[in-house]
Amino acid sequence: MKLNINLEKKLGSFSLQVKTSVSGERIGIFGASGSGKSTLVHLIAGLMQPDAGELYLDDTCLYSRRKGINLTPEQRRIAIVFQQAMLFPHLGVKANLLYGYKRCKPQHRKIDPEALIEILNLRHLLLRGVSNLSGGEKQRVALGRAVLANPRLLIMDEPLSALDDSLRYQIIPYLRSVSEEFGIPYLFISHSITEMQLMTDQVLVIENGNLSGVSTPDELARTNMSQNPKGYLNLLRLTDPVMLEGLFHYPWGTGTLIVSYGKEEGESLFELSSRDIILFKKNPEAISARNLIECRVAEIFDSGGRKGVVLEAGNQKLVAEIVRTAAEELEISPGATVFAAVKATSFRRLG
Amino acid sequence: MNLSPQDITAIGLSMKIAISATLLSLPFGFATAWIMVFRNFRGKLLLEVLVNLPLTLPPVVIGYFLLLLFGRHGWGGAALRAAGVEFIFTWKAAVVASATVGFPLLVRSIRLGMESIDRQLLQASRSLGATWYDTLATVVLPLSFRGMIAGSSLMFARSLGEFGATIIVAGNIPGLTQTIPLAIYDYASSPTGTSMALALCAVSVTLSIVILLLHEVIGRKLENGRGA
Amino acid sequence: MKNAQKSMQRIIVALFAFMMTALPAMAGQLNISAAASLKESINEMTEKYAATHPGTTFAKNFGASGALAGQIENGAPADLFISASTEWMDYLGKKNLIDAAGQKNFAYNLLVFAGTTSKTVKGMNDLTRLDKIAIGSPKSVPAGEYAMEAMKKSGLDQKLTGKLVMGKDVRECLTYAEMGEVEGSFVYRTDALQAKKAKILFTVPADLYSRVTYPMALTTTGAKNDDAKAFFTWLQGGEAKNILKKYGFELK
Repeated sequence: MKLNINLEKKLGSFSLQVKTSVSGERIGIFGASGSGKSTLVHLIAGLMQPDAGELYLDDTCLYSRRKGINLTPEQRRIAIVFQQAMLFPHLGVKANLLYGYKRCKPQHRKIDPEALIEILNLRHLLLRGVSNLSGGEKQRVALGRAVLANPRLLIMDEPLSALDDSLRYQIIPYLRSVSEEFGIPYLFISHSITEMQLMTDQVLVIENGNLSGVSTPDELARTNMSQNPKGYLNLLRLTDPVMLEGLFHYPWGTGTLIVSYGKEEGESLFELSSRDIILFKKNPEAISARNLIECRVAEIFDSGGRKGVVLEAGNQKLVAEIVRTAAEELEISPGATVFAAVKATSFRRLG
Repeated sequence: MNLSPQDITAIGLSMKIAISATLLSLPFGFATAWIMVFRNFRGKLLLEVLVNLPLTLPPVVIGYFLLLLFGRHGWGGAALRAAGVEFIFTWKAAVVASATVGFPLLVRSIRLGMESIDRQLLQASRSLGATWYDTLATVVLPLSFRGMIAGSSLMFARSLGEFGATIIVAGNIPGLTQTIPLAIYDYASSPTGTSMALALCAVSVTLSIVILLLHEVIGRKLENGRGA
Repeated sequence: MKNAQKSMQRIIVALFAFMMTALPAMAGQLNISAAASLKESINEMTEKYAATHPGTTFAKNFGASGALAGQIENGAPADLFISASTEWMDYLGKKNLIDAAGQKNFAYNLLVFAGTTSKTVKGMNDLTRLDKIAIGSPKSVPAGEYAMEAMKKSGLDQKLTGKLVMGKDVRECLTYAEMGEVEGSFVYRTDALQAKKAKILFTVPADLYSRVTYPMALTTTGAKNDDAKAFFTWLQGGEAKNILKKYGFELK
């Protein structure tokens, strides 16, 4: 999927100006509230009219002031998953799901509704009305509805913001798998870096109505490390732990990670803040923290006034965060060996 | 309490005219409410004033304007006569009088209902491939039902009580345009008609109560139906 | 303080004086309720009378005789009542609201059918070919009652349902005819003579309806009023009769 964006829009005292060209299947749009990311997305979908510029999706012109082209939303085939699901209250689940499907021209119908219903686990909801569904169920139906419209591009506008944490990370696998299974590229809008890391390969960063950069989720996390109260959040997928003395021992890299709040069976996603990793120049030998990992410093980067230290242990990576003076004192440099200490309680299970 | 055959006719006529006025106004009321809620254009304020005007004008004034417009010498009347259509002093004029007088009530109720429709639902509909008129029919219309029912009940009730405009433009013609209010007026002009007038008044009150009850019941059914 | 008191005194004196001058005027005011068809003639009569009797002023109330009777019954001020049918006079008589003993017949009239239609209308039977006909509401307008009587006697009342536009008094019927809103109306001959556009199409045969009689009487309040009694007498005199003749009323 290729998007050529060159759009301008003025709304009162707020002014949006974005000019960029991106290619990819999973693209994120990141920004704080009021930064203009919602406006940008409305412009792309045709729900708002730009003041000037051009917009191309895969070489199809969606908008060009110069040429006098402005496709209506229904002509653009860009489906949206909203923050608040926005299911039609007067229709049941099945009717909602098929709303876009019915309006899709037969030659464009690539997706099998039955397959989608299975993947999204909606079979048992089909005959129900929509007002008594839980938040997660609503978003799954909303996602199914958008996908069944067989769009060229799926826009997900903060689809997880209204859900609580446990639910959020349950839905993410659905979002990704549906897109991958049916080959639908998406634009994922969020103000959460973690969500970006899990959902996107590239991120457009919007600030005050302007594109301040295009980067990867990892770079984004690094740049925001010092501002983010949780620093850089390391995301770890750990599976099949062994229970010992009430603690979860997960295989990781060449060794084990010991986690206090894990899950006995299956795969879990954990986040570990860069600020919860303490570095030792020498092996401290006796330490209360249950995790003591010998690592090699792969890279050091600057972020605000801090230093981010990229540690390698076997084939795994962790990012730790220390102040500049600490880096100097410990003489930390790429190639050096350090010991990273992490408490078992520092791992937060996301889902 | 006794009702003469003429009274029964008046009751039947009142119902027929009220139902016709409501059905006639519904499409226009819906369209007007839609324009006022979802469209912006220059002169919108003027439209709002025009639509609300019948609420503030004395009904006789409305009747008189209709008479000027559709009477012998009005340009509307000339056109109708050319088409062979009788209008003034027929039940059709009574329908138009009731429709005009009740129109602001209808539009107001539908507007309220429409304003509570989340705009993002319409955006969702468009992004799923529906044209603006498809969205209008499959999303706006169903979600406006409650407002339409509320507005219809109000309009129906108002029509049953319509007097001023009706007597001017449709006249007091038993069997043709003499509705319940006009029949009561006829009785009231005569000192011997009190008991007959009261009988019709009782009918009028009963009808109003029935309509209001129906309005509540239907309104609740719609709410519950949505919740399932 | 003294100035304020003086102003107050002046105002009170002025009000009192005003009331004193107003009272005599009220004392000489006569309230007349008369059938709508008598409007022009009564207006001319009261003008003539007032010119020669400067202490008397008139408040005139014209309308359908039935409606007027209802008003008087409900306490509307009236010294003199002139009805277009005996029915409404008898109605008040039964309620002891009029001086029945002094009741006299004021005038008589003829019922006609007048209109602007171009269709041929020569008699009662031609009415079925018309689209709309105005009559006074028979419940309260004598002209309508007479018309209904004539229609029933001609066997036409069923055939004309849906064509009859009810007017609140005979003048409204005339207006409907003048404006062309109806093809014709049942009015009195005297009303038709006032018409500008409507023409008398036919006179209703006398055997089809009771004679149009205008009884007049003083109300019980009026009977106590000397000015009212004086006017009542004048109305039976020659000057009044000349005015009635002028407008086309019959006197016997």
